[in-house]
Amino acid sequence: MLTRREFVGSAAALLPVAPKKPLRVAVITTIYKYLSHGQHIGDRFLIGYPHDGEWHKPDVQVVSLYVDQKPEGDLSEERAREFGFRVYPTIAEALCCGGDKLACDAVLIVAEHGDYPRNDNGQILYPRYEFFEQCVKVFEKSARAVPVYNDKHLSYSFEKAQSMVAASRKMKFPMLGGSSLPVTWRLPSIDMPWGAHIEEAVMVGEGGSDPMDFHALEALQCMVERRQRGETGVSAVQMLTGDAAWKAGWSKDLLSAALSRSDTPLGLTVKDGRTQDLTAPGVLESLVKEPAAYRIEYRDGLRATLLMLDGAVKDFNFAARVRGAGILSTQFLLTPVPNVTYSACLVSKIEQMFMTRRAPYPIERTLLTSGILESCLTSKKQNQQRLETPHLAVTYRPVREPQYAA
Amino acid sequence: MKLAALVTRYFKYSHAQHIVDRFLDGYGWHGEYHHPPFDLVSLYVDQVGNDDLSRERGARHPSMRLCSSIAEALTLGGDKLAVDGVVLVGEHGHYPKNEKGQTKYPRYEFFRQIVDVYRSSNRAVPLFSDKHLSWNWDWAKEMYDTSRAMEFPFLAGSSLPVTWRTPSVEMPLGSPIREALCVGYGGVDSYDFHALETIQCMVERRRGGESGVRWLQAYRGESFWEALSEGIWPADLMQAALCRSHTLTPARPGFNDMFPSRDQMRALVKNPVAYVYEHEDGLRSTMLLMNGLVRDFNFAARLGGAPKIFSTQMYLPMPDGRTTLANFFSPLVANMEQMFLTGVPPYPIERTLLTTGLTAAGVESLYQDQKRIATPHLSIRYQPPKESTFERA
Repeated sequence: MLTRREFVGSAAALLPVAPKKPLRVAVITTIYKYLSHGQHIGDRFLIGYPHDGEWHKPDVQVVSLYVDQKPEGDLSEERAREFGFRVYPTIAEALCCGGDKLACDAVLIVAEHGDYPRNDNGQILYPRYEFFEQCVKVFEKSARAVPVYNDKHLSYSFEKAQSMVAASRKMKFPMLGGSSLPVTWRLPSIDMPWGAHIEEAVMVGEGGSDPMDFHALEALQCMVERRQRGETGVSAVQMLTGDAAWKAGWSKDLLSAALSRSDTPLGLTVKDGRTQDLTAPGVLESLVKEPAAYRIEYRDGLRATLLMLDGAVKDFNFAARVRGAGILSTQFLLTPVPNVTYSACLVSKIEQMFMTRRAPYPIERTLLTSGILESCLTSKKQNQQRLETPHLAVTYRPVREPQYAA
Repeated sequence: MKLAALVTRYFKYSHAQHIVDRFLDGYGWHGEYHHPPFDLVSLYVDQVGNDDLSRERGARHPSMRLCSSIAEALTLGGDKLAVDGVVLVGEHGHYPKNEKGQTKYPRYEFFRQIVDVYRSSNRAVPLFSDKHLSWNWDWAKEMYDTSRAMEFPFLAGSSLPVTWRTPSVEMPLGSPIREALCVGYGGVDSYDFHALETIQCMVERRRGGESGVRWLQAYRGESFWEALSEGIWPADLMQAALCRSHTLTPARPGFNDMFPSRDQMRALVKNPVAYVYEHEDGLRSTMLLMNGLVRDFNFAARLGGAPKIFSTQMYLPMPDGRTTLANFFSPLVANMEQMFLTGVPPYPIERTLLTTGLTAAGVESLYQDQKRIATPHLSIRYQPPKESTFERA
């Protein structure tokens, strides 16, 4: 006859092992409508995403959603009904799932899209800092902090961005931010050699400020940060527009290399399909009505330039002169709408941080790009003057392992 | 070096425009703007339509002679061959279709006229022929045999084998491939050929090299879905390939990227086509055209001993709104250049001979009520190049 202890023991052995509970994620967005960042990033945690030749279903449960604005086409309530979570009226309630303390294991902040004013720098005042700050308040009150992903730049203000990073350090929670460009596929599939001696870098982008210039700056930064001695920060910036952009001191052979990677030259290519050397005399000048050069002087002497060439191309391309290796160049592939599979590459990194509580690459990259962007736009406003940027002495060591989709 | 180009039509985004423009105007290549080191001295256009661009190109490149016959383009008006290489682009244009739905592009007819000039000049120069050799297998075989008999370098095929891949991976040489599959889009006797070349450039690298193909069976419409349910091809390879796509049609409104259920696939894909074929060494390959679900070409294979399915996308920057240049033609032109310069085709013509035969067999099977077609004529054995030839630099 079995003793009670033996019975309990044997019965327990027959029961399946209690599965580990999925990670509980709170989603905080400005809006949740079709093709907003909130929707395409948020949905991947609900229905999975393509990754490495599989349809990957993250082991997470979205437990709550906060949306700041509900424009026409809002999907938040529909998603909540279908996937069994609630839309809460405040960020604090979303993080606490209606209770009085933190009730989630990770926070996804996507404050991109929606109707927000611009400041006199032309920056859209997305409430990223404000959302983040409310999360931190809940963390403090609950004496517990969880990983936070913050989409795109940390804030339009470097000062605010810096305080966000400081909060994550103080409370020791992992934080990831930024663009999907650093992690998408590259054509060709190359990384900057680790420890490279980069002599100059040129990035070409398009699509206006301040959504798309940020993406281009992140693409540039994920390459140059791998140089000798790592990132040293930025000592000065200058933004030049109009004719001055053409004379902003960047190397033509680097522009030519970057543009050689483009699949989207405009002008005569659109007219009759022909290939064309965009750097032939006069071509760019005739195609690009409002060129912009973002000149970046790093503290270790590296010079980099982002050229926003609306009207010339529709993709993002990079080139750098590397001592001993010549010119390296590649395209950061933005795959087509609506799948925008590049955002799946980013979600895979976010999920990695949520699961391991370690950011796959340093938040300082995005802190620096947030600051570079703000200072460049300030330079533009201040008569395109060169501005010293002692506050951008952001130093960090990047990760050696390539982080892009391969 | 002098080149002649012979094309069916020359209009915006036609194959002729993509290919010949790259010789005339250059192209971005390996980080610089590259001008091919050739003089494209003559162009023959079989059909000059209202949308023709060859006259504009001729005016802008006066060193290119616009010719009224193939012989003139090859001899530059003289009495013997006056060029060092020939580019044949027999794609697009108004040509009749046969009862099986094949467009009778005059590739073989052009080829015959080319070799007539070669013969009368006692000299044969390298030839590139775009896409499959001919819609007609016997003619394709004759083209192949003629090139061998006359010993001139002959390159052909699709740009799919040489374009970028996402991810940028190559099938390891000598791989024990158990099963292979490609999901693509487009029509029969058209993009099926691209998908077959996609498969072939991968499976030819398997242990033992290419052994030829024993039989092929096509499935269309309802029988496609039945075959999928019966496991005629592996659903997990199909899933892996679809997970490499950048263009999955969302099955539900409001979602931008979702993996469709079987029922959703059926709703999205009205007229799917499959070619299932068995190679002589037992390998089973499957080509799927799933219009309505994807607009790209994705490959998957099961390798013996590997726990994970091998998969990638043959990436086509496509000027249908996604890009403005069809830059997958750049690696194709670069491979032509290499053949013209070295006299050695960078990959074997037997690949395209086989895929030409597979395309015709697929059409034939569909024509014969999806019957299995024995393909003893496709007992084509060859070894792949050791070096990778897809674009990764």
